[in-house]
Parts: sequence; C-alpha cells; structure tokens
Amino acid sequence: MSKIAPANPLEMLAYNISLQIENGQIVYVGTGLPMVGALLAAKTHAPHITMVFESGGQDPLEGDMPWSVGCPFTFRKSPMVQEMAPSFGQCAIGYVDIAFQGGAQIDMYGNVNTSVIGSYDNLKSILPGSGGGNDIGSLTEKSVLVGLQTPDRFPEKVDFITTPGYLDGGDSREKAGLIGGPVAVVTQCGVFDFEPVSKRMRIKGLNPGMTVEIAQACSGFELLLPDGEVPIIAAPSDEILETLRNVVDPRRVFTKMPGS
Amino acid sequence: MGYQYVTEEQMQRLVDFKGAREYHLNKKRDKVDKRMSLNEAIAKYVEDGDIFAETGFAYVRAPLQAYFEMIRQKKKDLVGIGSPMSNCSYLMALGLMKAIHLSYIGVEMRGNDKNFARVIKSKQAEIASIWSHGSMALGFKAAQLGAPFIASKQLLGSDMLKQNPYVKVIDSPVGKDKDPVCLIPALFPDVCIIHVQKADRYGNAIIDGPAINDIALAAACRKVILTAERIVPEMAIRENTSASIPFWYVDAVVDMPYGALPGCCPGYYYWAREWWEWLVRNVTPREENIAAFFDYWVYSTKDQYDFIDKLGGIRFMDHARELMEAAEANIDDSKVSFAYQEVIPKWD
Repeated sequence: MSKIAPANPLEMLAYNISLQIENGQIVYVGTGLPMVGALLAAKTHAPHITMVFESGGQDPLEGDMPWSVGCPFTFRKSPMVQEMAPSFGQCAIGYVDIAFQGGAQIDMYGNVNTSVIGSYDNLKSILPGSGGGNDIGSLTEKSVLVGLQTPDRFPEKVDFITTPGYLDGGDSREKAGLIGGPVAVVTQCGVFDFEPVSKRMRIKGLNPGMTVEIAQACSGFELLLPDGEVPIIAAPSDEILETLRNVVDPRRVFTKMPGS
Repeated sequence: MGYQYVTEEQMQRLVDFKGAREYHLNKKRDKVDKRMSLNEAIAKYVEDGDIFAETGFAYVRAPLQAYFEMIRQKKKDLVGIGSPMSNCSYLMALGLMKAIHLSYIGVEMRGNDKNFARVIKSKQAEIASIWSHGSMALGFKAAQLGAPFIASKQLLGSDMLKQNPYVKVIDSPVGKDKDPVCLIPALFPDVCIIHVQKADRYGNAIIDGPAINDIALAAACRKVILTAERIVPEMAIRENTSASIPFWYVDAVVDMPYGALPGCCPGYYYWAREWWEWLVRNVTPREENIAAFFDYWVYSTKDQYDFIDKLGGIRFMDHARELMEAAEANIDDSKVSFAYQEVIPKWD
C-alpha cells in the first residue's frame, strides 16, 4: 500500500509526458507541463537528455522552473544560444528528437488549433497564434500533443489548422511535404497514438481509474481501440511522485489542482 | 483578403527588397556619435504609418521603455510585426497600431490575452497576415542574408497559408522527387528599436543572451534605434570582436539603463513578474481598466526612473538584479528565492 497521496490528474499528465522521453534524446520544450515532464524524465529514467528552447536557450545548467521560454533558466550558463531561425532549423535538419505542444483544439488526425475558435471572418474567440507551435510540429521527428480532453477540445475537425498533424489522415501529411509528425497525445484520460494506416487517434493506454467509456465521452470523435485489451498505465511509484513533488515542481506551480 | 486599415502600399513595402536596398544605400555612412535622447530618437525615427518590428522576446531584452515613449508621443497608423509580438496588444488597444502581421500575442501560460481578442473582434485593429514564429524568423533572416526568399518546410498544410498573401507553396525545383516547399519572402520592416546590453556611441552593439531575431532585424529594417544598458568605449567592443550589430545599420543610440523594464534584461535584472500578471489578468480583460493602468505607468512617468520608483525603487531594483544574477548562476543562489505571489484575480 502506497504511503503517499496518489498522483492527481496534473501529476499523471506530467508523468505520462516524462514517459514519452527516452534517455539521450534532444528535447524541444516549452514552459508549463511539458517542462515539468521533461525535468521529471531527467530526474528519473532519462538523466542524459538535452533540452532546447525556441528562444534560443539550449543545454542550460539545472536551475529553477523557467517563468517563460525566454527565462534565463533556459540559457543558464549555456555553452551557446541560438538565434530563432536556426533554433527551429535544428528540428528540420534532424538534431531534435522530440517536441511537445499544447492546443485549444486537437482533432482525430492530431491537427492542432491555437489560432481561432470559429473563423477569422466569424470569430468566437481568438487564441494567441502559432508562436513556435507550427514550426516544431511541422519539423520535429516526433511531436507529442498535450491537452485537456473534452468533446469541445477534441473535435472531429479543428476550426483552424495551426499545426498540421496528419491533416486528412492516410498519407496526406507526407503528400503536403511535411516531415516528422505527432506520435502521441497525452491527456488527463491517458495516452493515445495514431493508427499507422488511417492515422486516426487510437487509445494506447488509459490512466488508472479511466475507462474506454470515459475517454470516449471526453472526445468529440470516435477513438480507435488497440488490438486486445486496453492497457492501463501503471501509476507512478512513490519515489517518482516524491521526485516530482519535492524536486521538480516543489512550489506546485504546474501540478497543483486548481482550488485544492 | 480585403483590408480595413492596412494599405496596399504598406503590404507591399514589407517585401520590397529593392526599396529597402535603396533606403539602405541612401543612409549616412559617417561613423559619428549617434547618441540622442529617447524622446528625440522616437520623434525622429518612428514615423506614423511605419511597419514597426518588435524585438527581443516579448518581455526579455525588449525595449519596453521606448515603447512607452511611443505611447507618450501618440504615434499612429503603425503596422506591427515580430516574432513574438506580445506588446503589440497594448499598442493596438491604445490606438497606435491598427494592423498586425501576426505570429503570437500572448503571455505563455498566463493565459490568453483578452485585449488582443477584443481589439480584433471590435475591428479596432486587423490581422494583415498570419505566420508562425519560425517562418517569420526566416523572413527576417532572408533579408539579412540578402536572399529574396527562403524555402521552408514549416507552414505547409496549415490554414495559416490561407491567411498569408506573401507565402507561396511550390514544388521544389531541386532534387528528383516532387517535394512541396513554402517560399518565405525576405521581410523588410521600416523600423525597429533594439535594447542591447552594450553599445558604443556609433552604434556597434553587443547582445548577451538570446538574440532572437534582432541581428536579422537590425539588417532588415530601414531604420534602427538602439537603447543600451551601457554606453561603452568603442575599444571595449573592438578588443573582443564582440559586436553583433555593426554601426552602419544604426540611426540612433540611446543611453538607456533599465530600458527593458518591466521585462528582464540578461546580465542586469529579472522581470517585474507581478506587473505582467497584473496587466494580463486584471487589466486587459476589461477595456475600462486599460486607460487608468497606462495613465499610471506610462503617461504619468516621464522616464524609467519614475517607473522604477513605482515598482518599488532601489529595493525592487536590487532584488531584480539579484534574481537575474542567481538565475544566471553568477552569484551563490542559496539565499535567493524565486517564489512569489502570483496575481490571480477572483474572476479568473
């Protein structure tokens, strides 16, 4: 029996993000939960990863949680910093292994919208825009999408493709001339991948306590199921949770549930 | 796309390679003392109707005190560009800017900038074209490289292409296989202000920490104003061959310690974090709050020293310096805490 409180949904998200990262990889990170996940990976199973940031910081010395992608903690005693154009160029020429991005909407083919709900001619709401999202999602070998899963946020088709996933599915991403692509989606329900031929989103594993029915109810399109039984992701060990709580995000900036 | 504010001439000027070249050819070459006051530099070189490029990284080494002077001088009809370009939000709200070439306006995980949404929805300002950070960065870089365009892999397949009259998709003429690429034209804004850690009186400048797009923008823009934490002797730059911007790009040099406040400046000071959170979470969500905020922080301050007094004077400044030095691992950070009270309004 575990001695400490089980992972809350945000901690589980951070943990699942960390599991996407393999030791030795060069990881393109933004702020927020992906940063927490990457730091957790570095403190647990992947001590030899190198982090790069779109502001140009790379391979910083370990330090506090950055307040922004441009925070000095993203270039703390870095051997060098990059200008923005070559920073993204590194993704295109094969020097970045994995990148993370969030979005207001993610659809069944992994297309991401961070631009507009509705359309620019008929606005419901305006989001910040691409930033580096389109660049890392278009160029990086493996990208991982992170989001809160609700039927609105997981529509069949995004209102606006800011960052292409597999576009209309099948080989449409490749035909468009894009490289790399999304390999996983991490949400409060669990982890998804993309079925290799249709490129439709498929359940890869569910978080403890989650069911296919709940995941489906949180989704605006039909989720594909893996062959055989749906795997349940093992909860993080006490040791990993303690690392997350005491070392990675001790002030609980990103992993404290709102209102708790 | 039909436009309400941005003119066809302004749209074309952004990609006018020959026009920018002609402008640069006619700039004075003299290696002279270009120092002047902030007031004079902004009055002379930021003109109504200019395509205005943001520099730095929104609130990292960004010339925010110079933006505030633009507000005081009531510049108008500016077209904004930059990657990122989060400060254009309040320049639009305050009526200086009516059109933007959008890459990103927001304050990262501090949520959506509700002011940006409001000015666009109410048609107080318009979006002239849409980009990603990287594609726009390539446009600035192409200008610096003297390349009419750069072919890219980003933007392909994205709906941004439908909202961007500049970028064209072609099949790459290089190689045997049919391979779509985007042609990103060289981008030539009219003016940028760059905050640097060190500059000499002629305009040779040192940037410490991420340069973002500023080296490219210094080359691309027709007019360049530097604000500098320190004016150093020319020899201090020569002895390390350390300039990243040469003097002949630069029109004006402003001696401007604390010129990036309330943002951070690597090597000098950390952010006034609460100022930004107050702006995004308390002020910009409600249109009626904006005037009073800028009245307090901009119209009723004459310079950066008045601004520092309002932030908390020497105590604030010394703490900000200490946080930056600790973040950069230049002082022992055992006594420095990055914990602070976030501004979270009740309605958020």
